[in-house]
Amino acid sequence: MILTILTMPLTLLSLQQGIAQRLAGRVSPDVAALVEQLGTEGSARGLPVEPLIQKAIEGSAKRIPDDRVATAIRLVATQLDTAATALREGGLDSDTLAIAAGAFAITAGLSGNDITALARVGATPQALTVGLRVAGTLAALGVPQADNIALVSATLRSGKPAADLLVLPAQVQSEMANGKTPAAAAAGLSRAAAAQARRGPPPGRGHGNPPPHPPTPPHP
Amino acid sequence: MSDREFHPLVKQLLDGDLTIADLPAELRAEGEEALSLLAAVDRTPVSVPAVTWRVMAALASRRRRMRTGLLTAALAIAAALAIWLLPARPVAAPSVVTVRFVLVAPDAHEVSLAGTFNQWDAHATQLVRTGTTGVWTATLTLPVGQHQYAFVVDGQRWVSDPGAPAVDDGFGRRNSVLTL
Repeated sequence: MILTILTMPLTLLSLQQGIAQRLAGRVSPDVAALVEQLGTEGSARGLPVEPLIQKAIEGSAKRIPDDRVATAIRLVATQLDTAATALREGGLDSDTLAIAAGAFAITAGLSGNDITALARVGATPQALTVGLRVAGTLAALGVPQADNIALVSATLRSGKPAADLLVLPAQVQSEMANGKTPAAAAAGLSRAAAAQARRGPPPGRGHGNPPPHPPTPPHP
Repeated sequence: MSDREFHPLVKQLLDGDLTIADLPAELRAEGEEALSLLAAVDRTPVSVPAVTWRVMAALASRRRRMRTGLLTAALAIAAALAIWLLPARPVAAPSVVTVRFVLVAPDAHEVSLAGTFNQWDAHATQLVRTGTTGVWTATLTLPVGQHQYAFVVDGQRWVSDPGAPAVDDGFGRRNSVLTL
């Protein structure tokens, strides 16, 4: 207990120094101070700091005025909070990569409820993180929220390896190039993934995510 | 292929964790040399037929069993047969992926790439004009994960990738998204 109390300020100091080093010479002192403040507060709540640092550096690189960079950084901080809350409601606590992926999905147009829905699929944190990144990418392609969540959920449930999720945006883009709408492209892929989920994991792929809901036994 | 060992900071540069500007002055020449070596590597993606994975897996399995006795050899044959019958798949997912970025900009004098993978440094990754058609390309090896980026045309104009999904950057522009 005493050791914990002693090491906490050290950890805090180390975090602040790390942020300061990353931002030194890249952003204005005001922006750096804001990232240190929001990063330290967020870190205490289990939020990642990297998205704040990246937004500060990006704003400076694009020569955006400080006040607008500050607004964008505060927005990222809010999105991280929203993502963390949504993940907690879905049963996942304190996974910084998943939170960052959730914040990206919100930037792309998904809601906290969408993130909670994906978290409730019951995938591993690693697979869920990939799922959130892919869902955000699909949203950026114009796939409507309902179709998006249905497709990613079905793929997570199908027992395929997490890496198989990564091909979904390219598949949707390919269908769109053939004239389908984003919604129709996602719906077709979703049906295929749902059919795969009903059949169970493909042979030799026992390391995928187990279906979270076992099949309902037939009524007598 | 050189046997030379690069400075750890130069290795971080090759990994995309640092830019050339991040290196101490005395290491920049070494960094540029390393980048030029990397750029010279042919990174054209190759597709390996599924049967090749089976053959490689079977050969690896047989090689491990060469030094043992007759009983082990029999087991090895059985194991090899099992491998032949199982569906093929790579052993592990890669931790880095090679990506080629392309922008058509016939009127541009220079094009670079800035993103989360190079600390948004508009001078870190230059694209090369291919021929006289106005097609600019760069090939990078990036860690798996999610990256946001934009092209910088003539050092001033930030342009999203027309071939990639994009999200609001919070500053009134769009960032392209790459999910690996």
